[in-house]
Amino acid sequence: MRDMAQAEPRNHLEPKVLRMAPVLRGFFWAAVGFATGNLLTLAVDPFRGHPWVTEPSAVVGWVGALMGWLLGVGGYEEIILPLFGFPSTWVEPQDWRRYFGLSTNHKVIGIQYLFSSSAIFLIAGLDAMAIRYELMQPSMHFFTYSGQYLTAVGVHGSLMMFGVGTVAMISGLGNYFVPLMIGAKRTVFSRLSGLGHWLLPAGALTLIASPLLGYWDTGWRGYEPLAMQDPGGMVFYYLGIFAMTLSTIFTSLNLATTIIFYRARGMTWARIPLFVWGILTVSLLNLIWQPEIEMTFVMALLSKLVPWNFFDAIGSVETYLSMFWLFGHPEVYIIVLPALALWNEMIPVMAQKNLFARDWAVIGLIFVMMLSGLVWAHHMFTNMRNSEMFPFAFFTEMISIPTGFSFMAAIGTLWKAKLRLTTPSLLILMSLFNFMIGGLTGVYLADPPVNLQVHDTFFVVAHFHYTIIGGMIFTWIAAMYYWLPKLSGRMYNETWGKILAVWIFIGFNGTFGQMFLLGLQGMNRWVPAYPPYLKSMNYEVSLFAFFLGVGFIGHAIHIIWAWRKGPLSSENPWHARTLEWMTSSPPPEENFAAELEVVRGFYRYDHDNPSAYFVKDKSEST
Amino acid sequence: MALAEATVFAVIWAIVTAIAEIVFRRIKDHSMYYTISSQGHIALSAFNFLSSWLIPIFTFMAVMVIFALVRFRAPDNTPRPSPVQTLRNKWYILLWVGVSFALNIMFWLHPTAVDLETMFANWKQQQNQHPLIVNVTARQWEWIFSYPQYGITQAVNAQGLDELELPVGRPVEFFLRSKDPFHSYDIYADVIHSFWIPAFGIKEDVIPGETRTEFLVPDHVANYETSPLVRVQCAEVCGPGHPYMEAPLSIVTAKQFSQWIAHQKSLQAQGA
Amino acid sequence: MDNQEPSGVVEQLWGRRQIIWGGIGLGAIALISLFAKPDIVGLTRRLAGSPVSSGKINLYQFDYYFIPNYMTWRVGDRLEVTLQNQSHTHWHEWTIGRKLNLAFFQGFGSMNADAWAIDFWDGVDVTLSDPYKVDNFVPHEAHVTYVGPKAPYQIASGGDFSPTLQPGGSLKLTFTVPNKPGIWRFGCFVQEFIHYRDGMKGLIEILPA
Repeated sequence: MRDMAQAEPRNHLEPKVLRMAPVLRGFFWAAVGFATGNLLTLAVDPFRGHPWVTEPSAVVGWVGALMGWLLGVGGYEEIILPLFGFPSTWVEPQDWRRYFGLSTNHKVIGIQYLFSSSAIFLIAGLDAMAIRYELMQPSMHFFTYSGQYLTAVGVHGSLMMFGVGTVAMISGLGNYFVPLMIGAKRTVFSRLSGLGHWLLPAGALTLIASPLLGYWDTGWRGYEPLAMQDPGGMVFYYLGIFAMTLSTIFTSLNLATTIIFYRARGMTWARIPLFVWGILTVSLLNLIWQPEIEMTFVMALLSKLVPWNFFDAIGSVETYLSMFWLFGHPEVYIIVLPALALWNEMIPVMAQKNLFARDWAVIGLIFVMMLSGLVWAHHMFTNMRNSEMFPFAFFTEMISIPTGFSFMAAIGTLWKAKLRLTTPSLLILMSLFNFMIGGLTGVYLADPPVNLQVHDTFFVVAHFHYTIIGGMIFTWIAAMYYWLPKLSGRMYNETWGKILAVWIFIGFNGTFGQMFLLGLQGMNRWVPAYPPYLKSMNYEVSLFAFFLGVGFIGHAIHIIWAWRKGPLSSENPWHARTLEWMTSSPPPEENFAAELEVVRGFYRYDHDNPSAYFVKDKSEST
Repeated sequence: MALAEATVFAVIWAIVTAIAEIVFRRIKDHSMYYTISSQGHIALSAFNFLSSWLIPIFTFMAVMVIFALVRFRAPDNTPRPSPVQTLRNKWYILLWVGVSFALNIMFWLHPTAVDLETMFANWKQQQNQHPLIVNVTARQWEWIFSYPQYGITQAVNAQGLDELELPVGRPVEFFLRSKDPFHSYDIYADVIHSFWIPAFGIKEDVIPGETRTEFLVPDHVANYETSPLVRVQCAEVCGPGHPYMEAPLSIVTAKQFSQWIAHQKSLQAQGA
Repeated sequence: MDNQEPSGVVEQLWGRRQIIWGGIGLGAIALISLFAKPDIVGLTRRLAGSPVSSGKINLYQFDYYFIPNYMTWRVGDRLEVTLQNQSHTHWHEWTIGRKLNLAFFQGFGSMNADAWAIDFWDGVDVTLSDPYKVDNFVPHEAHVTYVGPKAPYQIASGGDFSPTLQPGGSLKLTFTVPNKPGIWRFGCFVQEFIHYRDGMKGLIEILPA
């Protein structure tokens, strides 16, 4: 490609050869960065104790590692050089190698996110299997110390929340499909977004490495003042989540801006697809609440290092709890809003039927978004003042109304439809069922007297797994099957897809359905050892949990197989009408060959002329 | 034809709901969980009330999913437009939105508002009935129970471990504090615990630097042998000792209680 | 494409093999550092043996472990152990003995509890010095010499020989290893025995003279 004979002057523009994969170069510079930061801190720390890595030195070292990592994966050439006025020297290889370094193409970034998020799901899932294995016996038999068990619980929860729940659908599917669905050729802040992906593995690896600094006990919530006295692993909890939430903020900033400014001609607010509405509402939630939790974690981190005594008996314990849940409940809707949107994205396609009451479905998403910031204190009924129970019980009840609109639209669309019973359809029906259980058990938790009994028990564990796995993960898998022909140009195996869907449905309900009963029978959370009378049900739950775990791995293998070796699919196998299907599969670098103009909504199947229904080539029209 | 589908659905739904309600009532008669306090009965009856109202909603969704799988499925996967194309149905929307508002407001008024009012009123009443005062001190990882009205600073059982004993039928006021009385140089260095007696149907977090109160009346003689839900259990993660932060609890007759108090007094005299 | 390429671009020359081996290597490092550290330490100790401590020993207390958690002493050696509590929040004690006491817990049955059935320090001559932030000190059956005023040692009674240090505290113990060869365990039982149960323990192998 390059004519090497044309010698250029020796300056910064000299051709360079990168013999190391950017991701490995990132690891190398991260190690150098950590060592540098750590040693510098030790050199100036007058109170240094015995170990070579102390809490302050780990923090500074981590900052160095993150810098090294981001620069190493391509941030130096693609972002730093242009910022200082040098030309960017970064050229993405046009083959599989582009996935292993910084990319500015939203589809590459989307797949990077999907891969990272799936890897995190796998690790968090194996972690959950370890937890369930431990709970098969009432006394400790697998983990040696309860600190290890609690760290496993904390790592599982944090990875699932910040590495899967807020990532897979928003940063993964969102980055890939939102620009396609609105007819954009690229995103607005593509370099920021490309850099953002690499924050995710950095954060996840930080969390996974946290036991190296000592076992931490707080679970995913980092409750104070326990966090303040916990061993050093706590520090990596704050830092890891900081990186992962920053990644989500970058995605949200980029996608929200792209949705607002890069829509194709004619893509009015009344026409933008449901999934795009889901991503827009969730991006606004992210932009409001993720910085809030980052600020909280920075305060908690400082409070631990200095120590500041912000959140202990000297300061205010409840302030941390409030600040955490102020983010923590919107987080639940951040996870689930894209799923609610995707139900109504996919059901009309699979049924080839008009989306029922589209405006109500959108209103539902928007009101859930707005109300989600008003319900947080129901996580604190056991530790807040009595006067606060009543108003928060009100808002908690009320948020089920807009959530219900998504069900209303879905059922209205299903009613008298001729639904093609494909794997995505089946998974969505299962998701509706699961999320309904999650929602209805939330009604119990909204009632303070009941809450005071079942709070902090496995009833709550079951409840939120029903909303997050049952709602979000099932829908994510449905969406992966639905969009697989678009991502890969290939089709999955319908029989295997359905078998695996039923498999995880049985595994899921067997696992978490029984957890409600465990909670009512007095099984409290965060315990590796429990009174023996709870053993038999725990044993069963664990067996179902292993079954569920195998099912998820089965889906992963099936999807990877179909992606690489599945039968070739037609361009638009579902006869969907949204714009992502109006281009080849997988889409070309610039998404669309021609300028698009949207002339009609996407969810109308009562028109008889599907060939000319809503896009036209601008070159033809002029 | 237009109504036929809806009628079939409604009939199935009604039948399934009726069966589910009957089954639930059978379960309810054996109690969802063991409860032996004034407070616990409020929570359990709210739980049962909510269950009987939520069952129809759950069966609606469950029947709808199965109904859709059976009645609304396409014969094959060939894409063809559904014969029925609806954009809106004003009665359905009106009914849905109306019912969801009505139900949620009802749940908020009953059981939530009614029960909270009852609960707080009970607490006030019990506070004025010269309740038995128990100071509960949570520290990592131990519950310490003291009875200031009887001059008992730390009640212990035969093994020397902390225990809680309460007379049946007498109002109790718990004062909950998180601190470590044995470490005078940093008394409040402790963390959040949660004071939970599963059989009493309530838990209250114990927060460093604050004092919380909890009122209730135990109404059955019971202990761990009666039901393992009769135990004191920390419910909020408080460090590696959290699972072991458990203590025995006995609810005894007034006579047994006064004997126990005398025994504790003599133990304390020996110790001092 | 060719003519648009800016000069000085990074040309990437790396292949599949590098990614695979790099990934396997990094994964192995992660797994070993997360899960295999005790095994590696144990293996090294089996192969290389454990050096006999002599003279000054630093024993650090953390939440909830000791560094070192394995020591080899020899009968008759004169040792000076500087005990330092490195925790910012928790007090820690140091006891040495054999045979754990057990207690009965309602929900969990018999579990290890507060102390040793045999206290290593019974009848041992030991000199304490340089007390700093001592929580309490129980001499039990040991013959203790205190350097300096006694007040900072916070002498108490009950339980085994156990110096307990406040966060950041330290204390020096000087003694001649008594003629009690064999395997001895040490641990910290404070806060309802949880420190011990969560791994705050270690082993001393005492070699005959």
